[in-house]
Amino acid sequence: MSGVLGQINPGLLLVLVGFAGCLIPVQRVRQALMVGTPIVAMLLLALAERGTDLATVSVLDLDLILYRVDSLSFIFGLAFLIASFLNAIYALHTDDRLQDGMALAYAGAAVSATFAGDLMTLFVFWEITAVSSVFLILRAGTKAAYQAAMRYLGVQIFSGVLLLDGLAYVYKSTGSLSLDAFTSFDQPGAKLIFIAFAIKAAFPFLHNWLQDAYPKATVVGAVVLSAFTTKLAVYAFARMFPGFEILIWIGAVMTVFPVFFAVIENDLRKVLSYSLNNQLGFMICAIGIGTPLAINGAAAHAFAHIIYKGLLFMSMGAVLYRVGTAKASELGGLYKSMPWTTIFCIIGAVSISAFPLFSGFVAKAMTMSAVATEGYVIIWLMLLFASAGVLEHSGIKIPYFTFFGHDSGIRVKEAPFNMLLAMGMAAFICIAIGLPTIGGFGYGWLYNMLPCTTTAPADVCMISGKEIKPYAPYTVDHVLTQLQLLMFAVLAFILLKRFGLYPPEKPGTILDTDWLLRKPGFGMVKWAGTVWGKAGPAMTGFFAGVGARTFEKIETTFSPRGALARGPLTVGMAMWSAVLLGIVMLVVLLAS
Amino acid sequence: MNVPPERDSSGRFVKPEDDAPKPGDEDMHPMSKLLFGWVGSPRTPLILLILVILICGGLVLFDLGVNRHEYLDFANANGFYAIWGFAAFGLAVLSGWPLGKLLRRDEDYYGEAETTPQDVESDS
Repeated sequence: MSGVLGQINPGLLLVLVGFAGCLIPVQRVRQALMVGTPIVAMLLLALAERGTDLATVSVLDLDLILYRVDSLSFIFGLAFLIASFLNAIYALHTDDRLQDGMALAYAGAAVSATFAGDLMTLFVFWEITAVSSVFLILRAGTKAAYQAAMRYLGVQIFSGVLLLDGLAYVYKSTGSLSLDAFTSFDQPGAKLIFIAFAIKAAFPFLHNWLQDAYPKATVVGAVVLSAFTTKLAVYAFARMFPGFEILIWIGAVMTVFPVFFAVIENDLRKVLSYSLNNQLGFMICAIGIGTPLAINGAAAHAFAHIIYKGLLFMSMGAVLYRVGTAKASELGGLYKSMPWTTIFCIIGAVSISAFPLFSGFVAKAMTMSAVATEGYVIIWLMLLFASAGVLEHSGIKIPYFTFFGHDSGIRVKEAPFNMLLAMGMAAFICIAIGLPTIGGFGYGWLYNMLPCTTTAPADVCMISGKEIKPYAPYTVDHVLTQLQLLMFAVLAFILLKRFGLYPPEKPGTILDTDWLLRKPGFGMVKWAGTVWGKAGPAMTGFFAGVGARTFEKIETTFSPRGALARGPLTVGMAMWSAVLLGIVMLVVLLAS
Repeated sequence: MNVPPERDSSGRFVKPEDDAPKPGDEDMHPMSKLLFGWVGSPRTPLILLILVILICGGLVLFDLGVNRHEYLDFANANGFYAIWGFAAFGLAVLSGWPLGKLLRRDEDYYGEAETTPQDVESDS
């Protein structure tokens, strides 16, 4: 029995139930399915055999592998399933068929893409994540959300098109669609697939869709969106581009630049979106390093991040739900009315800041060690800077300006119970996987799932010749240095606030690189449209006139009633024909 | 009229206070009183500062007695992480002043001032 159940793709189950859920009008029935299906999916995943093709299908002479589990895809897939379960609980207070169904289908598509055994299957689910997730933005119902959703959809579909283009090159050159890692950009399709992944992973200059769309999504939608798309891209990079040195530098830049935007951003859900970008940078950097320790670091970071970032979005969502805004300039003092939300937000904040005893610490430590071990000094210093930056925007700014700081005088009810329950469970995971291993809890549970272990040196650790050693995060060195970094950063915050040097939170729109597209770019397209609107008819008239006059001339000259047809044989057409034939005959005679 | 706000007599930025009186702490959530009752005390900021200074000092002193084994030699220097953390945080925050002036525009700059989603049930 377990053999058959172990062959059912849990992601596909989520997709099917999700789409069906859109048609179920009874709220409680639908929501029971939304909460129950991820649990069933986790059980199915536990039964799946590793390293074999569990479900295959042949379409148009292509052998597709719909379900294949290994140690790399397992940890990402499990994180996605846990996130979809928590998200379903978080959404219980709403009665929105489309949102409920699409949230589950989106999660399922991400899980299915993770367990895809070939590029074509990956492409199909890659696109389903794009199409299903856009509803989470659209359902916000505002004009800004509609426009952002259209931009989001365009970018995501473009990523899919590039992936399809790239996989066509791969298939043509190798005759196979397998998810083998690339070793060089010179391989056919490598660059196209790299850019396709880069768009979804929100690389610098390709990142704006994230900060544009997520803060405009619904309360529930932003929580759901934060978990899947970008981490699916991280998984795809780990699968196909491990050890590509360019990723180290791109990742490091990704960790640093969002710090500066997050400092001045007023919309706290947008701050979290920049923070998401920063966190992805750590994972991308680790994948670029590509050693087993680094790949483990990326996977652990992704797992921990999915939970604590979801928790932070949940807490800001709860505030937005109750207060009606998530703008720092309008918030403050909410600890007086939302104590549970405050506590859960603080747990998310200290987790993402990587304080010892919380999940971020045990995850990020591996990446930092891997970078230092390989001797990338500048990169390491950049990541260390970004670690202090994370503390600034996610560790302090989010909880401080929302729940403490200046009392806005706002008094609201505590968040709905289902929201608190989801936040509580996420907070529990943040602590449970961050503790030293004590009585079944602790980081050991997370570390046992990592892709590259001593007991199961998996086929996903493609960089051969590197020794896989167990990693111990709780050493005196690690704890001491991390606490020094964080506590002195906290001291800096207190002093900056005390001396009035901390920039005030002000309402406004912060320009990012998408300004180029949205202002000059859009302006140019608009100008071109206006010019074409006027020049088009004028050009049409001009060419029509020229055409008509030319036709008229030809007709008056060559037609049976034309000038050349008139008169006796010695003039006109007959004469000219005779002259031309004579010349041709002369040429032929001379040539022979 | 839009009053240029926000600086007090010593030049510090402050948020403009509403004229309407703020609700008191009587309607505070019972759990808030239990967990965060200490936050509102006027002495809390100073106590927190002293506490953090003591912890920071303790960490640097402890570092003196530990022979760390860093992969990068310069990171072995006592207090390296402390200085880097303090400086990085300071740089990130202080950069907010010029960057804010450079990059901040009106809320409706892109015509998207209204972004509150419809699944919000504000009761504030």
